[in-house]
Amino acid sequence: METLNFLMQGFEVATRPENLLVALFGAFVGTIVGLLPGLGPINGVALLLPLAFALGLSPETALILLAAVYLGCEYGGRISAILLNVPGDAAAVMTTLDGYPLARQGKAGIALSLSAVSSFIGSMIATCGVVLFAPILANWAVAFGPAEYFVLMIFAIACLGGMVGDKPVKTLMAALIGLALATVGVDSTTGVYRFTFGSVSLSDGIQFVIVVIGFFSVSEVLLMLEKTHNGQKAVKASGRLLFNFKEFCFTFWTMVRSAVAGFVIGVLPGAGATIASAMTYMTEKRMAGPNGKFGDGDLRGLAAPEAANNASACGSLIPMLTLGVPGSGTTAVMIGALTLYNITPGPLLFEQQPDVVWGLIASLFIGNVILLVMNIPLVGLFARMLSVPNWVLVPAITVISMVGVYAVHSTTFDLVLMIGLGVFGYILRKLDFPLSALILGFVLGELMEDNLRRALSISAGDLNILWGSPISLCLWALTALMLALPGLRWWRSRRAAQLANA
Amino acid sequence: MYVRLFAASWLLFCAVLAVIAWGFQAPFAYDPVGPRAYPLLLLSLMSAGSLWLVIKPGLLEQTLNTRAAVRAVLCVLALLAYALLFEVLGFVISTTLATFALGLLFTGRPLPCAISAVLMGVLLYSLFDYLLDVPLPLGLFEAFVES
Repeated sequence: METLNFLMQGFEVATRPENLLVALFGAFVGTIVGLLPGLGPINGVALLLPLAFALGLSPETALILLAAVYLGCEYGGRISAILLNVPGDAAAVMTTLDGYPLARQGKAGIALSLSAVSSFIGSMIATCGVVLFAPILANWAVAFGPAEYFVLMIFAIACLGGMVGDKPVKTLMAALIGLALATVGVDSTTGVYRFTFGSVSLSDGIQFVIVVIGFFSVSEVLLMLEKTHNGQKAVKASGRLLFNFKEFCFTFWTMVRSAVAGFVIGVLPGAGATIASAMTYMTEKRMAGPNGKFGDGDLRGLAAPEAANNASACGSLIPMLTLGVPGSGTTAVMIGALTLYNITPGPLLFEQQPDVVWGLIASLFIGNVILLVMNIPLVGLFARMLSVPNWVLVPAITVISMVGVYAVHSTTFDLVLMIGLGVFGYILRKLDFPLSALILGFVLGELMEDNLRRALSISAGDLNILWGSPISLCLWALTALMLALPGLRWWRSRRAAQLANA
Repeated sequence: MYVRLFAASWLLFCAVLAVIAWGFQAPFAYDPVGPRAYPLLLLSLMSAGSLWLVIKPGLLEQTLNTRAAVRAVLCVLALLAYALLFEVLGFVISTTLATFALGLLFTGRPLPCAISAVLMGVLLYSLFDYLLDVPLPLGLFEAFVES
C-alpha cells in the first residue's frame, strides 16, 4: 500500500510538463543513438549527461532524461539490426539472427512492430518488478555497513569477470584500471595528492564526464574509421506494417518468459542486456526444438532477445537505486550523474529523495508508452536516419563530445585529457578489454576505497571486520563462485571435447 | 603478440606508479589504512593480471593494418589540433576546420564536407550558446562582439 502511495507521488513528479518533455526528448534521442551502428546506451547517456548538467536540470529531471535515453537505445538497437543486419548496440546482436531474415522475406514491417511490442512488454514487466522489489531490497540494504559494502562491490566486479565469460582476466584488468584511475587526485581522508604529477587540473581527480566521453565517444570515433558500412543498403519495409493477432499470441509467452529472465539477469550486478538477450534466445531455441525456424526468421527468435534486453535494462536500475552499485555500464554512468548532483545512490535514497526515485520509476512507465507510440508509426523516419553518412555523423559526435567536456571546467587541459583517454580506450578495445568493466571500476573506485577505509577505521585496522558478518560471508562465497565460473566452464568444455574425441 | 606487448608495458608502468605511490604519506595518521595501501593493493593486483597476460595472452584476431593505422593517427592529430585550437580560434572557426578535416577522413567529398562543416560550426554554436546556455569560447570573434 505504501508503495502504491509512493508510486502515485512518483507519477506526479513524472507528469510535470518539463519532465514529460524531457522524457519525450530523451526517448527520441535514445532511439536515434541506439539505431546508429556503433553507438549504444553508454554513448547516449554520456553525450547527454554534460548537457543535462550544463542546462541546470534538477536531479530528478536529469535522471528521467538519462533513463529515457537508456530505454530508447534498447528500442532503437533493433531497427538497424532488422533492416541492416548491423546491430545498433551490442544487445541487439541476437536480434539480427532472426530479424534480418524476416526483413529479407518482406516481413520487415511485421518484424519492426512485433519487436517494438516485445520491447514494450519486456520493459513493462521489468518496471513492475522494480516497483515490487526495489523497496524491499532497499529496506534490506540498510543493514549493510561499510564492510558489507566493500565486499558487495568486490562481488559486483567478480560478477563481471564471471559472466562476461571468455576473457575473465582482461575483464578484471579493465575493472582494475578503472579503479586505479579513480585514485587520481587528492585523497579525501588525508589530503595527500595522489598521481597528480604536479598538475593542478588533476588535483580533484579525473572528471567523470571526461572519462566516459573519452573512453566511449572518442574511441568510438577511432573505431568507426575502420568500418565504413556505406556499401550496405537498408531493406525497405514493405507489405503489412503491423503484426496480426495470431502472431502476437504465438509470441506472447516467449515475451513474458524472456522478460522475467531478462529482469533477473539485469538485477545481478555486472551482467547486462547483452548476456540477457543471448541467454533467452538460446533458451527459446532449445524449447522450440526442431519445430522452430530459428535463424531463418522465427518470430520467437525476434521477440525473446528484444523483450530480454529491455527487461534487463530496467532491472539493472534496481542495484543502482537500492545499493548504489551499478548493474551495467550504463547505470554506472547514471550513478556518476547522480554524484555530480551530490546525491549518493543507496538505500537511504528511498527515504531522503523519494521524488528522485519514484519519479524515475514512474517515468519508466511513461517513457515506455511514449517509446511504443513513437516507434510504431515513426519507424520509417528512424530508418531514414540510417542513411546519414559517416562524414556528417562522426564530426557531429566529435563536436558534441568536445562541448560536453568543455562545459565542465572550460579548460583545454580537459579536452586533451579526453583525447588521451580516448586513444588509450581505443587501444584497450582493439586488444579486447571490455570498457564497460573499466567504467564500472571507475565509478566504484572512490566508494570502494572509502568503504574499505571506513570499515577498517571502525575496527581500528583489524582486517577481520571484512568477513565478520553473515552478509559479508555470504557475499564472499558468491564472489568465490563467480571467480570459479570461468574455470568451471573451461573444464566442462574441455571434458566435452574429450568425450567427443573418445 | 600485441596483448603481450601491452601487458608487458603495463607491468612496467605499474612498477613506476608503485614507486610513486610509495611516497604517499600523510603527515598525520587519520585512519589506520592511510593513503598508500589502497593504490598499492590495486597496483599489485594489476601487475598480477599483466603477468598472467604476458604468459597466457590468449587469442586475438586483430591484425595491424598499416593504412587503418595511418588514418587513426591522422584522426588523433586532427582531434588534438581541434582541442588545442578550441580556445585560441574560438568554437566556430575551430569546429568548422575540425569537422571539415574529419569529414574528409571519413571518405566524404570535399564540397559537401565544407558545406556541412560551416553549417555545423555556426548552427551548433547558436544551439549551444543561445538555446542551451553552454558558454563557448569566441576566440577570434571576441573583438567583434561587445559584451
